[in-house]
Amino acid sequence: MTTEKREDGASKSGQVDRRTFIKTTGVAAGVAGGIEGILAARRAPAFAQGTKLHWVRWNDFIPEADVELKTRQVPEASKALGAEVTLETINANDIQPRITAAIQSGSGADIFHLFYNWPQLYQNSLVDVSDIANAVVKDQGGFYDVYKPSFQVGGKWMGMPHSIVGNAVAYRRSWLKDVGATEYPKTWDEALKVFTLLKKKGRPYGQTLGHTFGDAPTFAYPLLWNFGGAETDASGKKVVINSKGTVESVKFMQAFWKEACDEGGLAWDDTNNNRAFHAGELSATLNGASIYIVAKRQKEKIKDEKGEPMYLDIDHAGLLPAGPAGQFPLYFSTGHGIMKYSKNQKLAKDFLAWLHKKENFEKWFQVNEGYSVAATTSWENHPMWSKIDKPLQVFRTAARKTRIFGHAGPSSGKATEAFSKYIVVDMYAKAVQGMKAEDAVKWAEGELKKVYEG
Amino acid sequence: MKKPIAGGSGGAAGIAAALPHVRALPPGRLTRWLENERLLAGFLLAPTVVILTVFIAYPFLMGIWLSLSSTSVGNPGKFVGLSNFVKAWNDSIFQVVFRNTFFYTFWATIFKLALGMWLALLLNRHFRGKRIVRASMLLPFIIPTVLSTFAWRWMFDPTFSVVNWVLYQTGFIVTKLPFLSDGAWAMWCAILINTWRGMPFFAITLLAGLQTISPDLHEAASLDGANAWHRLWRVTWPLLKPVTVVVVVFSIIQTFADFQLIYVLTGGGPANSTHLLSTYAYQLGVNSGLLGEGAAISLFMFPVLFAVVWIQLRYIRRLEGA
Amino acid sequence: MVIERRWKKWVFFYIPLTLFVIGTLFPFYWMAVTAFRPDEELYRSWRATNNTPFWTLKPTLAHFQDLLARTTFPRWLWNTFFIAVVSTGISLFCGLLAGYALARLNFPMAGTIGTSIFVTYLVPPTLLFIPLADIIRNFQLGNTPWALILTYPTFLIPFCTWLLMGYFKTIPKELEECARIDGATRFGAMIRIIFPIAVPGILSAGIFAFTLSWNEFIYALIFLSSPEKKTVPVGVVSELIRGDIYFWGQLMAGALLGSIPVAVVYSFFVEYYVTGLTGSVKG
Repeated sequence: MTTEKREDGASKSGQVDRRTFIKTTGVAAGVAGGIEGILAARRAPAFAQGTKLHWVRWNDFIPEADVELKTRQVPEASKALGAEVTLETINANDIQPRITAAIQSGSGADIFHLFYNWPQLYQNSLVDVSDIANAVVKDQGGFYDVYKPSFQVGGKWMGMPHSIVGNAVAYRRSWLKDVGATEYPKTWDEALKVFTLLKKKGRPYGQTLGHTFGDAPTFAYPLLWNFGGAETDASGKKVVINSKGTVESVKFMQAFWKEACDEGGLAWDDTNNNRAFHAGELSATLNGASIYIVAKRQKEKIKDEKGEPMYLDIDHAGLLPAGPAGQFPLYFSTGHGIMKYSKNQKLAKDFLAWLHKKENFEKWFQVNEGYSVAATTSWENHPMWSKIDKPLQVFRTAARKTRIFGHAGPSSGKATEAFSKYIVVDMYAKAVQGMKAEDAVKWAEGELKKVYEG
Repeated sequence: MKKPIAGGSGGAAGIAAALPHVRALPPGRLTRWLENERLLAGFLLAPTVVILTVFIAYPFLMGIWLSLSSTSVGNPGKFVGLSNFVKAWNDSIFQVVFRNTFFYTFWATIFKLALGMWLALLLNRHFRGKRIVRASMLLPFIIPTVLSTFAWRWMFDPTFSVVNWVLYQTGFIVTKLPFLSDGAWAMWCAILINTWRGMPFFAITLLAGLQTISPDLHEAASLDGANAWHRLWRVTWPLLKPVTVVVVVFSIIQTFADFQLIYVLTGGGPANSTHLLSTYAYQLGVNSGLLGEGAAISLFMFPVLFAVVWIQLRYIRRLEGA
Repeated sequence: MVIERRWKKWVFFYIPLTLFVIGTLFPFYWMAVTAFRPDEELYRSWRATNNTPFWTLKPTLAHFQDLLARTTFPRWLWNTFFIAVVSTGISLFCGLLAGYALARLNFPMAGTIGTSIFVTYLVPPTLLFIPLADIIRNFQLGNTPWALILTYPTFLIPFCTWLLMGYFKTIPKELEECARIDGATRFGAMIRIIFPIAVPGILSAGIFAFTLSWNEFIYALIFLSSPEKKTVPVGVVSELIRGDIYFWGQLMAGALLGSIPVAVVYSFFVEYYVTGLTGSVKG
């Protein structure tokens, strides 16, 4: 029992045990990834007494992407590298506890999926991957702007950028047309008018202001930025949130919430808006491409009020409406990090290099159909974009303008602290629950000061 | 805790007659050793003491060290004295969380006690199917909290709630009730679920207590002209106090440190309105990586629990002394 | 006179009792209905007119099949069971010995030790899990069931000790004294006389410990990483929520299947569970 549980793979048992263990792992990986037609029991090739690489990612919102990784890429990589690679996918909310436990106990997976600016948070426990990153840049064009502040520490790449989950507003084309909007509102004022009319018809806008790591911040931070507000100044040391722009954005949100939104949104997590949208409760909501993609894949089950498959009526607006100060999105940028405690750092680097090879990355990229885009700009020109459904094409340039939280300062560990305490999100949540806008902003200022000015 | 209540328990008496006759063995050295009460006690307590020392006492001390340091994930910290505690105390989020925990524990305990008592009184009668009812009443307590809380969460879902459906169909509401979307509502929902889960524990133990009260006492009281309510208040309740206190103490300890229910139900709720000390400590430690501060938050629980337990125990001692 | 009594009985007894039963058991019924309901019927908004929440005319096993195919659920059941049984065993062993010592023997510091065992019950797990992660690493038990088997007794032992202590106190001292007069050693008397009598108490403590350990969440969340090592509560929470979709059908199926073993075990030992609770509070 003890031999096969060691993460570093140094097994002292004989050949038979290893083979049984490998078979079991292969089966487990196959079963875990085997959905909808791909059956289990793919026997992974038996390796020489080599090393094992444990890779952890989130449960992708697009299950096919995980299937692609687990059943095709991981075995191929294992063969190519002469080692045994395993991919474990867990609920996104559980990644941080795992990383924390792993770092504190000095043992765990070798490669973790990292979100937003986590490399800043875990910088002392990560391996410098500048060599891989620079090689990919040479090969596939530069990274999007968002990665420099979030994945670089002191000029070194502490995380390997991988992909960005673009979010956009999914909306019901026919319903917006019913109230006179032939295209998605371009400014927040327009949006307020349109959705007020829709809410009166029982078809409100849906947005969560709960403690979610996806939908809530990707709405709240842009709302703040689009009205000219920001957490700190460019130095990152002075909190400037208590500004006219911020107060205006809060006041706007109060009106928008009451008149245009489904007020159950305070209790939603990242999944509720999907379900509500598919049930015909919402006219629009901010989300990744998963609403459309799932509606299309389950077109028999998800129908609109006329009995037609709903996906035919879904369209996307690439950016949230603009505010007086501009249009800045917050996208979900992700990448991978190699842990310092790992005993297989060289293997991990080789694996990441393999993963990002054009022919391998391309397969994963295509399965996503736009839900996740690459971290480098050259993939905007990939032929896939012209072949996928029109509503998904809007995600092509999704990643260009994204900011990261901590704006306008560098995105440091303090920004992560503020983010994980949901200070900005709660500012809006408190305001729509009845607090005066100025008070909500003052509260946020107090909390942010504690974080940034310590 | 030490006074045997009239009636006794468990059939221990009466077995004396059927005791196996123990053969007298010539005592070996080890057994002679163990004659000594102290050595035997040491020997018997050893496994417990070892496990608890290694897995609680030592981590507890390390936890205290953590709370006095600036440790964050992957970064060993330096000693910072009480600054984590001070920072927490002055933080408005912490103050809300602290209040929430008291509010939650207070109301949940009251409801559990009241409903548990009522159910115990009901179950104290004889009726057909009593055993099945009694057994099934304990189910909420048996089933893993995480799983049953999911069922409740689904029942309160903003879009698909069955409760909303019922109320809507029966005409009580027009717009849906914000069960988990409104701060105050969410807190009461959490209290409701905690009550649902914990009430059986109260009911069964109070029932046991009730069953030890000799019916003669009740008869004597009603002969004296007391009605049901009087009997409850003057006869039953005083005799139940010791049992009640014990059950309440255990319940408070569990509820104050509750983690799973909130974690699954709301994750801290709309704008921190259902955050408890444990869930907030967890969020700080894991999502923000601030292990030192998280440890400090957890430690705030300890003195409160300690005080609660101490007060209760003194109360019991006073009751028994009287 | 008789009619008035009967009316009273209904109002004060039958109706409240029925309400209690419904209120207590409804969520389980709901779990079951959801688990068997097909997806099309599941996601109908609360306002939808075709919503039939309390029953379904097209029960399906699809969720259960999906649960078993997509996750290693049977493995979780086994893990949870294994961990629960072994940690219960350890805790009973320790609790039995400690309970006897504290209830029957005179030795210095008896009160202090007893109190400290009880006090450990007050230490919150959210404080302990980070330092424990360190200790688990030092013993190299990370990601094995042994990490849990050794940490669960920390909250099971105090409870078992306390429960058994109460039980022992009700056993008359004369029994032991008789045996010792007959020549038995203290140790022998303990093992041959007292422990057999305490079997009901042991069963009660055991079933209690079993259900408590089945219910544990935070240590299992932190100490176990691989999917096939997880326990049921952790597995259900982390694997049945993919991305931004909660698979409610499968979640409820998992909740149902996850509850059944512990409910079954419990149902065999209900009497012991109840007497355990009652015996303990009297002790």
